[in-house]
Amino acid sequence: MHAIVRPLILIACALAALVLPYAGAGAAKPFAAWHWMDIIDEGGTALMAAVWCLIVLASRPDGRVTRLLAGGMACIMLGSWADCMDEFWRIDKDALWDNALEGLVPLGMLVLTAGLYYWRQEQARLNDHLRKRERLFRSHRPFDRVTQLADAGYLRAQLRREAQGEGPCALVLLDIDGFHRINREYGQAEGDRALQAVAHMLLLNLRNEDLLCRYAGDRFAVLMPGLEPDQADCAARHLCAMVAGMRHHAGQRRVPLGLRHDCAPARGAPEALLAELCGRMDAAA
Amino acid sequence: MIAWQAAGEPSIPARQQPALVLDYGRARDAGDAALLRDTGLLDGPGPAADRLVAPAQYLQLLANTLRALDSPDTSFMLGQLLLPGHDGAASHALVQAPTLRALLDTLCRWHARLTPLLRPRFETWDGVAILYWIDSQGAPGLRAPLVEMHMTAVAALCRWLGGERLPWRFCFNRAAPRHVEQHQVHLGSQLRFGCQLDAMLVDAAWLDRPWPRGSAMAHALAQEAAAAEPARLPGLPAALYDYLVERVRAAPALEQTALDFGVSPATLKRQLARHHTHFQAELDQVRTHVALWLFQARRLDNEAAAHYLGFHDAANFRRSFKRWTGLTPGPLRAALALAF
Repeated sequence: MHAIVRPLILIACALAALVLPYAGAGAAKPFAAWHWMDIIDEGGTALMAAVWCLIVLASRPDGRVTRLLAGGMACIMLGSWADCMDEFWRIDKDALWDNALEGLVPLGMLVLTAGLYYWRQEQARLNDHLRKRERLFRSHRPFDRVTQLADAGYLRAQLRREAQGEGPCALVLLDIDGFHRINREYGQAEGDRALQAVAHMLLLNLRNEDLLCRYAGDRFAVLMPGLEPDQADCAARHLCAMVAGMRHHAGQRRVPLGLRHDCAPARGAPEALLAELCGRMDAAA
Repeated sequence: MIAWQAAGEPSIPARQQPALVLDYGRARDAGDAALLRDTGLLDGPGPAADRLVAPAQYLQLLANTLRALDSPDTSFMLGQLLLPGHDGAASHALVQAPTLRALLDTLCRWHARLTPLLRPRFETWDGVAILYWIDSQGAPGLRAPLVEMHMTAVAALCRWLGGERLPWRFCFNRAAPRHVEQHQVHLGSQLRFGCQLDAMLVDAAWLDRPWPRGSAMAHALAQEAAAAEPARLPGLPAALYDYLVERVRAAPALEQTALDFGVSPATLKRQLARHHTHFQAELDQVRTHVALWLFQARRLDNEAAAHYLGFHDAANFRRSFKRWTGLTPGPLRAALALAF
């Protein structure tokens, strides 16, 4: 609210100041000669324009567009106000200053139009900027779009952190058996659904401190901090049993889903560890 | 005269691979405006049955899709959809292939239909089968995703038809990528980066194992049917590669090549530039590949390889080889021994 106090005072002063030349130079009209319709019309326009001007100043940061919009509305306000003063005081038709003041209305409209034109440009620029930020944000988000799980890059970063930490930590890889056949026979949309179903089932059966990632394709990775390899193996067997117990359907047909797994202690360089574990998964396939 | 198809002329049925790429992009929530930008293709429910797309348009569509989806698995997922494809008899011949050898022969024979962007070449020696990929249309900027796509396509097709994952080894003419997890899962863990060619290798023992769903009879019939259909021509780089491989010992020159291709040398130069390459680069690539083959398959030393390729002496050959590959033959030989 503080920001509009100054313009509010300015506007009030300008409106009050405009009364002075008319009161000084003009001859007051008798009350009976007042045209109420014109007074409401012109005075109302002036007051509304003042309100619009204040709204623009209060809601936009300062800048060219703001100044043009507010300036245009201020001009319309002053022009209309001068027009309104005509109704109270009779002014000589040749008085230049009166005509000039009334000419503020079309001038204000021109300025306002220019402001709207630049506002449109500004808006297009902003939209563009937002879109880019959004894309940047999405592309840098370490999450997979199909399953909403963390991706391999995030997993490697976490493994790197774990390698420096103390205490045991296990890495489990899980592959869906015959996933390529689901893709071929039912299409990739069904393949995506199967991935989502398996991801949900895995998430429901993990501890809060475990990290589930979609490594790539049909391969999931689980980082299990605090677990020795044999404990992790036991947990992985449980995960496989839970997925094997699912009743997944593609349309009307039941698609059996099975997992195979392998695990290793999460130690050493992530790239080498993952390459070795992937090699073991391939050998078992 | 050697026939070829310029990348700018329509030759690929719009309903085949281009439609598949467009569908994939749409299914992954990319907008038509982003997918079709600069392709000259119109959006709409689907192209007419006889509509043809130029390879350059298809490449632009692929580039747009890769950019719009901005996901490292795009090329691999597209690869899984690529083969056997929807090219009638040629695709049918692939599906009916009774063995891996029949499949690879079929793929190479009908490459202009089945894989219009990359040309596969299949060779065997010393108990190793190798399938390596040559640029068909001149798309150096898309080389890496195209290779990922086509290797995934062949590996996935073999896995499907053979009923098991073949122990392919993969060589890539590029540095190790950040998204190596995609290679590990979609291709396998036997990966080698920084090689001089994009190739997939497998023990030759796998070539003649009978496949469960193949049928030699249906395969032969489908091949006959495919041969009866009007031929589709290879792209200029693919045709030139085949031409140069045959004549590599005779130091082929631009002038004679242009004559054999039925155009003037200036036209050949201009066409090659339109395919983002030039004659010397293509010749150097062929010589590199042949030198690798001499080292590996024929076990020649530098002297003999230099002689085979028509160099005056081994030192000259060494220098040229360094210029083609950035490596002298010695270290490369050691790297090859590991890779193959």
